[in-house]
Amino acid sequence: MDDDRGLPWARLLGGSLCAVLAVSLAACSGDGHRGGTAVQADRAHCGRGWSDPHAGTQTLLVHNADSAAAEVDLIDPSTGAIYAELEGVGPGTTRAMRVTLGGGTYAFWCFPEGGRPVTGPKVTVSGPAGGPAVRPVTQNDLFPALRSYRAYVTKGLGVLRDRVDELRDAVRSGDLDAARAKWLPAHLAYERLGAAYGTFGDYADKIDGRPAGLPEGVRDPGFTGFRRVEHGLWHGESAASLREPADRLAADVRALIADFPREQIDPSDLGLRAHEILENTIQFELTGKGDQGSGTALATASANLEGTRAVLDPMRPVLKPRMDLTGVDTWLDRTAKLLEAQHRHGRWTPLDELGTTDRERINGAVGALVERLASVATVAAVRRTS
Amino acid sequence: MTGPGRRSFLRGALAAGVAGAVTTGSAAAAKDPTSPSPKPPPFHGVHQAGILEEPQARSVVAAFDVIAEGKAELTDLLRALTDRARVLTGGGVPAEPGISAPPPDSGILGPDAPAGGLTVTAGVGASLFDDRFGLAAKRPKRLTAMRTFPGDDLDPAWCHGDLVLTLGAADEDTVLHALRDICRHTRGGMQIRWRISGFSNRPRPSGTPRNLMGFKDGIANPDITDAAAMNRLVWAARDEPAWTSGGTYQVIRLIRMLVEFWDRVGLPEQEQMFGRSRDTGAPLDGLHETDEPRYAADPIGKVIPLTSHIRRANPRVPDTEGSRILRRSSNYDRGVDGAGNLDMGLVFGCFQQDPHRQFEAVQERLADEPLTDYISPFGGGYFFVLPGVRDRVDHLGRGMIE
Repeated sequence: MDDDRGLPWARLLGGSLCAVLAVSLAACSGDGHRGGTAVQADRAHCGRGWSDPHAGTQTLLVHNADSAAAEVDLIDPSTGAIYAELEGVGPGTTRAMRVTLGGGTYAFWCFPEGGRPVTGPKVTVSGPAGGPAVRPVTQNDLFPALRSYRAYVTKGLGVLRDRVDELRDAVRSGDLDAARAKWLPAHLAYERLGAAYGTFGDYADKIDGRPAGLPEGVRDPGFTGFRRVEHGLWHGESAASLREPADRLAADVRALIADFPREQIDPSDLGLRAHEILENTIQFELTGKGDQGSGTALATASANLEGTRAVLDPMRPVLKPRMDLTGVDTWLDRTAKLLEAQHRHGRWTPLDELGTTDRERINGAVGALVERLASVATVAAVRRTS
Repeated sequence: MTGPGRRSFLRGALAAGVAGAVTTGSAAAAKDPTSPSPKPPPFHGVHQAGILEEPQARSVVAAFDVIAEGKAELTDLLRALTDRARVLTGGGVPAEPGISAPPPDSGILGPDAPAGGLTVTAGVGASLFDDRFGLAAKRPKRLTAMRTFPGDDLDPAWCHGDLVLTLGAADEDTVLHALRDICRHTRGGMQIRWRISGFSNRPRPSGTPRNLMGFKDGIANPDITDAAAMNRLVWAARDEPAWTSGGTYQVIRLIRMLVEFWDRVGLPEQEQMFGRSRDTGAPLDGLHETDEPRYAADPIGKVIPLTSHIRRANPRVPDTEGSRILRRSSNYDRGVDGAGNLDMGLVFGCFQQDPHRQFEAVQERLADEPLTDYISPFGGGYFFVLPGVRDRVDHLGRGMIE
């Protein structure tokens, strides 16, 4: 829709003789720069200098002679799909672009800051298939997914509030057995939201922070939230002394709910979340580092997997034409199956009771999954096209 | 486009190496793991690389548990493993994925990812032949789980494995690059059960490298250039399942050396335990490390005690000729124990035709040698090293799984 890379006028703006000699570029001066072919990226000469197009992995030295920084992409001019990109090539600087070219048609696309993008001359390369090209994802493309994820979080925050209130009430009533029973559903309501790396700003640490990094550790006044309450509930702390942390958790959740409508989510974050939620799971849950005594790391992992789906699913219409999600789905399903197998009669297997084989299977499945989700982040990073 | 794990890679030119570059030079030169390594044998061949050659300066032994579900996934795993080993040992740059994926290579070897003399040697453990993959009938005849020997202090977390990889190269970064790459492409199919990094010392001052007890180790190996001896002692026997042809058995023993205790032992006692001079490596009745001990002239062990390591391990009589093993060990160093002692020792490795007839026979002869007080085996396993990958369409374990 706002993707103008393929428009013919853009190519004509290249304005050089090379633009006309779309196929045979040998006549155009290309510096025989040591270690790579020098290619111009300024507005007036976008793509000029690419004199020896050939298949294989190679380095193109992209030089921006303009006075503004530019984004420079190597694209398929018929679809606008990107083979390689360089962000922020500074004025007067040269950057290396490493590409694997195969049979196909290529063009440089130069987008100076504050200006209009320009597509350089078409260049044809013959040979076997090269590296993949992917159509860029724009901010607009991701708005529906972002709306959908916000709605999911908003709904989930309501559930979180209710369950945290139940946990707080159990602590206040002095019934710590009941409090232990209420802790997990409340915690999972949070873990399902798919918070990772600053989604909720300071609230993430207040609500689910670990004692690591605090000078006094579990006794540090800065240790608050679910993990603080968990530590007390599973380490013989009295109901009286747990009251303040439980009240505070309930208050922090309310503050988050009040704040969330004003929190901006960068559309680019959606793709990052797709793998970062589970990167956190690997680092803190599958290692057992996050556990403060409840032994529910696998329950958390399962909730994180739901959070991952909640981020990923609304992005599918955007991702589907750009990447094969079969592997992602295979490993999402296998991970879910393996985790669910550790949830029997309402109890999750604690990590220290998990057999070697089961643990390796879970580690391997989550590992295989994040390897594939990593591509979601690079594909779904927001790119400007006009 | 394809997802990770199925990415295509450009291979460098067929730089896998010169044919037949088995180390046959003068013993002293070939044994220096820190001198420019001779090119490893080519990746494609009857045998895998990393068996006959001297251990390289840096190595990793990693045992894996296979988590693939069913035979088809195991086949995918073996293909992926072969593909990565072929690419890594050939060197060269991965294809650029553009914006479709993060960089396909860790980059720790720079943009050109040279092969660096890497060898990848893969073996399978007896546990792979259980009921998971329907391979019970394919089990190599002499493949069992590693026994527990008297004096062992085995930690189950450091024992056995469905699959074992030995990676070797001149440089640590080459080895770790390969390990990361292989793990990245096989996460859903196998997981590391245990792993240990090894190193080989340069000769001090010459000849066979020393172990961490200060003694030259591995002097009296069978001659790898003697094809008949290799067929008798190393390569899988003819009565094995046909698919095993070109393979061999690998025994790995992780042996802690109690080096502080050892350093408090007087030199004559140390030398009598080994049966060799610490300075020269010569047998106690000789001058040079290559001198043959003359046991016949010393029947009651006045010079080289009957209980010494070299005499027990290899009595050099016709009866024990068939129990000789091809030792390929390296050293390890991994921190401090609870008593403040350094945790270092030997990643003992040997190749043979029959672990029972060879390694175990040697081990039984060594059962109560005095040296056992100064060492503590804590892990390892028995593995069958798969036949070599014949060509570009072949893969590791193809005959096993077909």
